[in-house]
Amino acid sequence: MASLRIESPADVAARAAPPTPSPILVPVEERVLNSNIVTRGTARFGLPQPISIVPSALKAKAGLITTLPLRNTQLREGGVILTASGRPVFVLQGTIPAYRDLVPGMSGDDVRQLEQGLNRLRFDPGPVDGTYDERTSAAVTQWYTSAGFEPFGPTPDQLAAAAAAAAARRAVDAARARAEHANKAAAAEIQAMIAERALIVLDPRQPETARAAAEAKLELARAAARKAQLEGELEVQAALDAQEAALRNAKLAADRVDRLAADVDIAKRTLGVQVPADEIVFIPTLPARVQEVTALVGHEARGPVMSVTDNQLVIDSALPLDAAPLVKPGMPVAIDEQALGIKATGVVTRVADTPGTHGVDGYHIYFEVRVDKTPTRLEGFSLRLTIPIKSTKGVVTVVPLSALSLAADGTSRVQVARDGALEYIVVKPGLSADGFVEVTPVNGPLAPGQLVVVGYKNPENRDLQ
Amino acid sequence: MRNMIQAVVTAVVMLLLPGSASAQAPPEGTEEFGLTRAQLVQSVEKVEALISKCMREQGFEYVAADYNTVRKGMAADKNLPGLSEEEFIAKYGFGVSTLYTGQPPQLAEGYSPAKVGLGERNVQIYKNLSPADQVAYNRALFGGNIGETFAVGLETENFSRIGGCTRKAIEQVFEPEQLKVTYYNPKDALVNKDPRMKAALRYYAREMRKAGYEYNHPDEVEPDIRERLAAITNGGTIPVEKMSPEQRAALKKLQDYERRVAAKNFQLQKEVFEPVEERILEELFARKPK
Repeated sequence: MASLRIESPADVAARAAPPTPSPILVPVEERVLNSNIVTRGTARFGLPQPISIVPSALKAKAGLITTLPLRNTQLREGGVILTASGRPVFVLQGTIPAYRDLVPGMSGDDVRQLEQGLNRLRFDPGPVDGTYDERTSAAVTQWYTSAGFEPFGPTPDQLAAAAAAAAARRAVDAARARAEHANKAAAAEIQAMIAERALIVLDPRQPETARAAAEAKLELARAAARKAQLEGELEVQAALDAQEAALRNAKLAADRVDRLAADVDIAKRTLGVQVPADEIVFIPTLPARVQEVTALVGHEARGPVMSVTDNQLVIDSALPLDAAPLVKPGMPVAIDEQALGIKATGVVTRVADTPGTHGVDGYHIYFEVRVDKTPTRLEGFSLRLTIPIKSTKGVVTVVPLSALSLAADGTSRVQVARDGALEYIVVKPGLSADGFVEVTPVNGPLAPGQLVVVGYKNPENRDLQ
Repeated sequence: MRNMIQAVVTAVVMLLLPGSASAQAPPEGTEEFGLTRAQLVQSVEKVEALISKCMREQGFEYVAADYNTVRKGMAADKNLPGLSEEEFIAKYGFGVSTLYTGQPPQLAEGYSPAKVGLGERNVQIYKNLSPADQVAYNRALFGGNIGETFAVGLETENFSRIGGCTRKAIEQVFEPEQLKVTYYNPKDALVNKDPRMKAALRYYAREMRKAGYEYNHPDEVEPDIRERLAAITNGGTIPVEKMSPEQRAALKKLQDYERRVAAKNFQLQKEVFEPVEERILEELFARKPK
């Protein structure tokens, strides 16, 4: 029994010696190598913007919301985005937001925007001149009617103002007539006074005997004439003063008439079909997609009610500072999410100049990817973005990175198994990616399928596994 | 012939020695999974490096946590400042359903061994992600069970619930049997084989049944609570504030159950297992003090 336990030192040494390591061999391959940047991003639709409803001065108070669109609803030009107290809120394309009621007689860029929209909707607003005229009004009427809504006409206040203006004009007409009458009366009075003086002073048919009397009468007449003249002059002066006053009054009355006539004209023109500010919203790009509805049915239709986006999917992402210079706008991007089975493609559209913009931290640089058209719904998902930075642009000879070693003279080499022996071949390394490196043999053949050493296997050493 | 004689002699010697367990070679290491300290450090570093590589392939940044960070995560399990283990168990049971918030571990404010084990830099990386990226990040890192980190798996010696890149990395470093729920490290396996421990386990099962619990081994309790919690919370993805009334009621019931069963489990461990295990380990490791 004891003999079984006895071992020679040589046996012990042989048992304790490490096993001969065996090389781990892998074949040389041919493949295309791509060096990629892999990062993450979240998909969203572009150009998010809030939609607000401006209160209208034409309405006593805002209407109550009766219908609202669902999320992802497509908003097209001329469509109704919501209704409030039975009235529509239309959407048109335009960069200037609706900020005032658009009424006949008004002019400005917002009116021009309305006319352009009506034109696109094939409701002829006449010349697109930025003036709300009768043809614009007619086009608005057609637009409302085609959508099943009554156009918005003049309000009772507007009608009362127009009636008051008309009454004022009539009053001024009467005042003008009175002034003219007074003027004419003053002129007639002057003529009568002049004629009466002429009859007394210049009559030659009076007799000799009557001359003295006549002289006396003449003197009397002269005196009377002087008196009449003086009185006439006084009357004339008074009449002239009256005429001047009447003319002054008439001028004032005429001025007032002119002013009121202009007001009446405006009132008349503004009594056409109007577009209240709370019945129209302008969005720069259409069609748009409803991103989020913040308003509630039954609440007042004023202020922010929803947000919309365009229909272009973009992905917001960030790159570490060292990788950012390698990514340029226009680079293709492979988009995927393995867990969800998503695959798509896109293009880098923007790389920020400085770190820390667009909500990324100061150690990253923001970049944006535009997603190519895809039937897959990507919005809101976190997606993996693979950006090929460099490629061998064709099949090349590659070996695993671990097969490459550095010789004492600084050259790169691989150890190749040939005829049961291992030999080194000097190679020139190229692009490295995915754990492989492109190699070009320098002093010997290296063909695909040949085995190269990537390490040594020692089953006793757990740590080497 | 020589082999036959050797086998007979070995069998005789084995029969003469007291206790079958002591006849086997004691395990090499006394750390988790029967590893030596050096092996544990190497394994942790390899796993963390592989997690980092896998996450990078998924497009995420992950800074490989060092051994000390992972160790801190392990030590944070069932540990709150100012509370002894007994007090912790009395108050929170295993701290599984009782301290559940539904928040990802990176966003946890209070007790979270998982957060500690991930390391502060990874927590910051996570916090800087968009909400969608945060969901994808944790799916990539943990798989279906959010918060089942490498450190927690190491501490509980149970990798069975770990998924995602963490599992992929563990699979490349640990043996396949170490990933099974039934795995016992060599030391515990030796202890469990001892007749005294087997008797203690029978007593344990009896006592637990008397108290109304169907467990045969103390190591079955916590995983069972985790499974039940995962069933209520869809793998730990539903925050408490978003739970339905039924889910809240079920969680409350589970929390009460966890406290009661953990207290009973702890009591039996102290009274029954620890003295027996201590004696067996003394016999196993008497000549190899660590």
